[in-house]
Amino acid sequence: MSAIQLGVEGVTKRFGGLTAVNDVSFALGQGDILSLIGPNGAGKTTLFNLLTGQLAATAGKVFFDGADITHYRPNQRARLGLGRTFQISQTLTSLSVLENAMIGAFLHHPRIADAADKAYAALERVGLASRAKEEAGHLTLGERRRLEVARALGLEPRLLLLDEVMAGLNQTELARIVDVVVALNASGQTIIVIEHNLKVVRTFSKRVLVLDRGKMIADGGADSVLQDPVVVEAYVGKKKQ
Amino acid sequence: MDQFFNVVALGMLLGGTYALVSVGLNLIFGVIRIVNFSQGEFLMLGMYGAYLGYSTMGLDPYAGAFIVVPALTLLGMVVYWLVMRPLQNEPMMQVFASFGLLLLIQNVVLAITGGVGMSMNTPFSQVTLTIAGVQFSATRLIILLAALVAAGGLGLFLAKTNFGQAIRAVAQDRMAAQLMGINVERTFMWSFGIGTGLAGLAGVLLTPIYTLSPQIGGNFVMAAFAVVVLGGLGSVLGALVGGFIVGLTEAFAGYYIDPELKHAVIFIVFIAVLLIKPSGLFGQAGAEEVGLREQS
Amino acid sequence: MSNLDLAQSGALGDSRLAGRRGAAEVWTVANELPTFFAVVAAIGLAVYLLSNQFFYLNLLTMALLFGGLAVSWNIIGGFGGQFSIAHSVFFAIGAYTAGNLYKHFGVSPWIAILPAMLLSAAVAAIVSWPVFRLRGPFFAIATMALTEVAIAFAMHWKAVTGGASGLTIPYRAGLENMIFQQRWAYAALFLGYLAVTLLTSIVILRSRLGYYLQAVRDNDKAAEASGIPIMWTKLKGMAISAALTGIGGVFFMMYVRIVEPAGLLSLFDVGVKIALIALIGGIGTIYGPLLGALILVPLDYWLRAFMGSAVPGGNLIVLGLILVLGSLFMKKGVAGALRQVYRAWSRQQ
Ligand SMILES: Nc1ncnc2c1ncn2[C@@H]1O[C@H](COP(=O)(O)OP(=O)(O)OP(=O)(O)O)[C@@H](O)[C@H]1O
Ligand SMILES: [Mg+2]
Repeated sequence: MSAIQLGVEGVTKRFGGLTAVNDVSFALGQGDILSLIGPNGAGKTTLFNLLTGQLAATAGKVFFDGADITHYRPNQRARLGLGRTFQISQTLTSLSVLENAMIGAFLHHPRIADAADKAYAALERVGLASRAKEEAGHLTLGERRRLEVARALGLEPRLLLLDEVMAGLNQTELARIVDVVVALNASGQTIIVIEHNLKVVRTFSKRVLVLDRGKMIADGGADSVLQDPVVVEAYVGKKKQ
Repeated sequence: MDQFFNVVALGMLLGGTYALVSVGLNLIFGVIRIVNFSQGEFLMLGMYGAYLGYSTMGLDPYAGAFIVVPALTLLGMVVYWLVMRPLQNEPMMQVFASFGLLLLIQNVVLAITGGVGMSMNTPFSQVTLTIAGVQFSATRLIILLAALVAAGGLGLFLAKTNFGQAIRAVAQDRMAAQLMGINVERTFMWSFGIGTGLAGLAGVLLTPIYTLSPQIGGNFVMAAFAVVVLGGLGSVLGALVGGFIVGLTEAFAGYYIDPELKHAVIFIVFIAVLLIKPSGLFGQAGAEEVGLREQS
Repeated sequence: MSNLDLAQSGALGDSRLAGRRGAAEVWTVANELPTFFAVVAAIGLAVYLLSNQFFYLNLLTMALLFGGLAVSWNIIGGFGGQFSIAHSVFFAIGAYTAGNLYKHFGVSPWIAILPAMLLSAAVAAIVSWPVFRLRGPFFAIATMALTEVAIAFAMHWKAVTGGASGLTIPYRAGLENMIFQQRWAYAALFLGYLAVTLLTSIVILRSRLGYYLQAVRDNDKAAEASGIPIMWTKLKGMAISAALTGIGGVFFMMYVRIVEPAGLLSLFDVGVKIALIALIGGIGTIYGPLLGALILVPLDYWLRAFMGSAVPGGNLIVLGLILVLGSLFMKKGVAGALRQVYRAWSRQQ
């Protein structure tokens, strides 16, 4: 077992009457990769927001490297090493593709030339280097997703959280991102992935965590979880309806 | 002690004025999230409209309201459609544009009137009521009443009618409202129109009290913004209560500190509210995080 | 051996090159300097050529002053997207600081620049801090309120501002007093001011702070998730912008030698005008605000002289129209339009 990097204890988020995330607890070891799945509206994105600080938890605690970060701002968490992408790409539309990626890289490389180099390398990883000089506002949705990943990679995060970065990509793009994720994890990067495509989940993730209506209904090995009748009922069953 | 009550009365009456001016501004601010710097100019247009009716047709200003208010509602809708709607997702440009409108309207009126101060009377102008040694002017009382009626009416309209509920839905979450089939742009247009119409009403009712000048809108708009922030974005009750708080603050600061500094005192109240409770007294928590609901 | 060496160094060179690919693709301060020197030299030449034509020289002087002010405004307003119409306040702080230090303590205005900058930056930070916690239009409203308060204070605080009748300082020509007999010296002074603001603006835009400001402007959520301290970034931008504006106030004080609150703090003649100039020229670009000043200051003068006398408020009607139409149809200003034309032209080549 590797050292615990992320600890989540009884985290809950309520929006008025709606409990979007309900008493979720889990722990993630250094260098592990975890897939977070669940039907639409299950609370996956909300859970990400609680981990990276975009939302304040109604209850519960989040630990990173043993430190209680429940009340940290998102930028403080980024500094500690939490990097994320957004499900709806948050592109900086007036900047170039390279400059978007630089926004991440600046965190550890204040000098512009260094940040540009790191950003360029991140763009190469996601296959956007040839577009470096273009205005980011001109990118397609799929390209914006990959740009999100590049910006997050620029942060050189210790824990990388990817929110549906593979949705809406074509086959080549998908294969590329899967390769990137696998390679990152192989080099020791801790990753949490929100992903709807179960086939993809199976290829790179041994561990799967399932949310349904805010509750964590399963957490375990990919094969056993994906065959668990409760999960099939909640997730696969609903999808088929 | 008499003085004290006089100051309170003055503050309440002033508060009524601010409340009336703010109700419309708050509707625009709260629903469309546009900072309409030209709101004071619609008030000024209301005043000149009433004057026009008075000088050409001998219309009593209070009767003139029945023409002026619909006219300014219409004008507001046109302004929204031509100027604000194309700038929906550009708050910075909205600020520029509404400032441009302010300059434009103010100086067109200046050019037409030549900047001559005008004033007019109604049969109520000279009437004052004295209650327990404290004097109330009838025209101010009418404004206070109008503020209560306008706020109450708007509150009922928003709560009880379908269209009012649509406006509230749009204010809370544009995207969701759109998905529910509400025509957001039309709702915005009407909200803007109602907002400017209410400013016009305030203007009409102020004509017997203030000397007309093209710049008069500026006297109210700053206070109105303070009221809106104080009361809470999009809250009708907030505009009413906020109006009284600002009115009383101004009256007390003017009397006990220095009339020249009363604006400074309002500003300090404004900053204090932003610090302590940015959503205002009656605003929805988080409403100050202007814009669409968080989507990530 | 030598072949092997060559091959190795070639491979090494390649990999080094690959490692520095990004740096080659970004624009740095060094890249900006040639344009900067060319612009300053061109204006310097204009000052020289006009040195005997007082009318045009004065117009150019004012254009350079407002150019510098708009370039300063642009740091927070353009790069940072925080719309301030209260820069007149920092301008006034600069003027009053220099005026009072000079008049009552005999302090040279050159030395007064430092306290003027510090005071402007401090006031900017104190006022902005509560408002920057909020998103949306609150900042613009607060700055408008600040202007009102500043006027009230300036009228009230007669010891410092001279109240409504204004603050006058004696004419004692001399470089150390920043008071000159030759009119062209003021043009040169304001050219220096413009150069300082432009250079600061370039250094900021081509540094991390500039990128952070733009990130906050474009998308504060992405910015914060990328580790950017939003509040601190805005405050830094605002403080620098205000400090530069304060310098403009110092120079202006010594240029006119009499200032009164109504003129200095005028919402339209200073506060809004600075922002308008940036809008016309091109918000968020380096030279846009300067371009805007070179267009708008003469235009404003001309409108005042011809329209204003024919129709009361006529000049402001035109400015109002420009504001509305500019925000509707020319969001990127003249600089943006020129760039579009240039792009279309270079595509045709
Ligand atoms: N800021 C918010 N305010 C109110 N309700 C919210 C907010 N954000 C999310 N919700 C609600 O919380 C629930 C969970 O949403 P969330 O976005 O976390 O789901 P998800 O699992 O990411 O879904 P999807 O697969 O569609 O992305 C939904 O019902 C959603 O409407
Ligand atoms: Mg989601």
